[in-house]
Amino acid sequence: MSEVQSRLTGEYHGERKPLFSLAFKTAILTALTVGIYRFWAKTRIRKYIWSSVAGQGDAFEYTGTGLEKFLGFLMAIVILAVYLGIIQMILFYFGLTLFTEPRTEAQMLAQMGAFYITFFAVLPLIFFAQYRARRYKLARSRWRGVRFGMEKGAWGYALRAIGHWLLTIVTLGLLLPRQTFYLEKYMTDRTWYGDGKFEQQGKWTALYPAMKHLAIGLAIMVVGSILGGVAGSGGIIVITALVGYIWFMVGLVSYRVKSFIYLTDTKVLDGAVTFDATPQTSTIVSTVLVGGLVVGLIVGLVFAVVGGVASAMMGPLMFGHPAAQVIGGLVIAAIYLLVLAMAGALSLVWITQPVIAHVVTEMKVHGAEHLNTIKQRAHDSGADAEGFADALDVGGAI
Amino acid sequence: MGPVTGSFFDGQHAGRHRVEVTLDEAAGELIVTGPSLPEALHWPCARLRALEDLARGYSLTLTLHAETEDEAPRDPARLTINEPAMVARIRELCPDLHKRDLHRGTWRKIWTRGAMAVGAVVLMLFVILPRMADTLATIIPVEREIAFGKSVIAQMERALGAADLGDLRCRGEAGQAALDRMVARLSEGQDLQYDLEVRVFDDGMVNAFAAPGGQIVIMRGLLEDASGPDAVAAVLAHEIGHVEARDATRIALRAAGSAGLLSMVLGDFTGGTIAVVLGERIMQASYTREAEAAADVFALDMLNAAGVDSSGMAEFFDYIGELQGEFQIPEYLSTHPASEARAERARDNAEGQEGTTPVLGEAAWQALKGICG
Repeated sequence: MSEVQSRLTGEYHGERKPLFSLAFKTAILTALTVGIYRFWAKTRIRKYIWSSVAGQGDAFEYTGTGLEKFLGFLMAIVILAVYLGIIQMILFYFGLTLFTEPRTEAQMLAQMGAFYITFFAVLPLIFFAQYRARRYKLARSRWRGVRFGMEKGAWGYALRAIGHWLLTIVTLGLLLPRQTFYLEKYMTDRTWYGDGKFEQQGKWTALYPAMKHLAIGLAIMVVGSILGGVAGSGGIIVITALVGYIWFMVGLVSYRVKSFIYLTDTKVLDGAVTFDATPQTSTIVSTVLVGGLVVGLIVGLVFAVVGGVASAMMGPLMFGHPAAQVIGGLVIAAIYLLVLAMAGALSLVWITQPVIAHVVTEMKVHGAEHLNTIKQRAHDSGADAEGFADALDVGGAI
Repeated sequence: MGPVTGSFFDGQHAGRHRVEVTLDEAAGELIVTGPSLPEALHWPCARLRALEDLARGYSLTLTLHAETEDEAPRDPARLTINEPAMVARIRELCPDLHKRDLHRGTWRKIWTRGAMAVGAVVLMLFVILPRMADTLATIIPVEREIAFGKSVIAQMERALGAADLGDLRCRGEAGQAALDRMVARLSEGQDLQYDLEVRVFDDGMVNAFAAPGGQIVIMRGLLEDASGPDAVAAVLAHEIGHVEARDATRIALRAAGSAGLLSMVLGDFTGGTIAVVLGERIMQASYTREAEAAADVFALDMLNAAGVDSSGMAEFFDYIGELQGEFQIPEYLSTHPASEARAERARDNAEGQEGTTPVLGEAAWQALKGICG
């Protein structure tokens, strides 16, 4: 058939300009249609990004449609409206029956907090939606014409996710690697490329080194507050808390990157294809920082110029005739929407896309000649096509 | 024209076929041949479809329109061509390259699902949740309602800037006595379900509110701006109406049930927050306007029973109407019915009243106005 080499390196072909205009245009359309176009917007942006990722020149393809997302969303709305409305009200009612007269500030806050138990009504659904969303994305991804796919199992995932989260919280984060590993394993072991099955190997304890910078960040905060307490110096406490916090935040990124590397390197496809990921935490952090700076600068500049010109022109109008006031209000709303849409599109091309490009180009596939033997898999209806994820705001734009 | 080289994926295997592509313009079809293909493929121009929104704009990936069970009616095979002249010629020649095809029955699906979703949301917001709130509001134990009400008042105090709970309450003894007398006069002979606890907060707002469980708060600003004790009595009767109807509890329950429903429907898109806030405001307003109208009716009955002139009420609503001035909020956005109509109703009622007496004497009225010291 063809000349597939045994080693394959990820390529990323996306560019800033076309993605920016696509994201900007679709964001405006979304605002103009009171949000209905968002399903098509998301689809088109995914098509662009998927087609940017390639191996040996062959691009990925995203075959999802905006229409199926819209239909899935309508279905999710029916279920969620009924379920959430009733559950939320009943939980609120029981929250009310727990009330006593608040005597202190703390009691008052605690009682107001009790109302947030409605959150727990949504929690299982959020995990459910996360799994379903990943299944849908895989079912709509193809490479060389062959579908990816994921088996059903969203409720099993939701149950396990709740259990693992509880364990992680009870152990103050000590069992985070266990959670990360087993949840990823649950999903990977149900993932397919054509008729080839993925398998997550490795062991969860191997993720502990990935937590190094989280531990250092915590240690700085703890030691700093002890030293500061002993020396009676508030300055030490503040400075170490700040340094420790920043270290911890970078540590979070580092944990995600390092656990991603380990979990990718220990994945096997169809017993023959392996992966080698080498993304750098430093590259990702600096990409996010530089990108954030660029986006902030551009948005600030545009807002200042456009807003200045508009207020100079519209200012006199605002004190005039009521009709003029309405027009002025509309112009301001339009400017606000344009700037928001621009900010979203800019952060897509300056932050999200470069990070994806880095991760993809730092990916190697070994045993790629085996991919030639992979056969097509059956079409997956995609269930709710992310309808639940959209309604519950799970996951970002792509 | 052609042949040019291309990559072909048959949609059955992940192997890549190196192929030669020829465009037969007379027959209007693409002919695809290759050593690894069992036979030459003929793709008619009319069925050719291009993939859209691709990153490498110079390249063209083609597929065929076909009634498959896939998410879109497309053949699973793909053909990618990079040769610019060929790409340009195909784009020129094939008219339906960018046609969007739908599966049969798609429109019916959109209509049924759309109707179901709209129906479910409307049914929940305007039938099921209000009924449920009404039922739950009547079965909640009174002492729980009182505790909830205290908590609401505590929150209100915090929002108005009190450092400690109870700081805002005005404690003038003579004033409180006058207020209690007003309450006693209004509630005399009435079969009220709640023990009323009426207090004044030291704040300039012209407002009063009823918290769950019979707790009523009047703002100092309202006492200062009221035309006389009868106006205050009218406001008080209105708030007692809310208390008796358990409006605060019901509205809190409804709000809890419908919380997030709108943001769920509208989703998280650019500018979506404005739409959600506006929508919630409209919904909330339609809930409360009904309750306000009912409380007005209750208040007029109460004033009539107590022999208090409802002209005070009319004067008060006239004043509120003036405060709102030209910046009238449209009624569908406002939580209260239009002030003129409310004043009108109070005036009509006053014409039919006989033998009314002021609710407080001049001295007691002055004491009430000075309750905050």
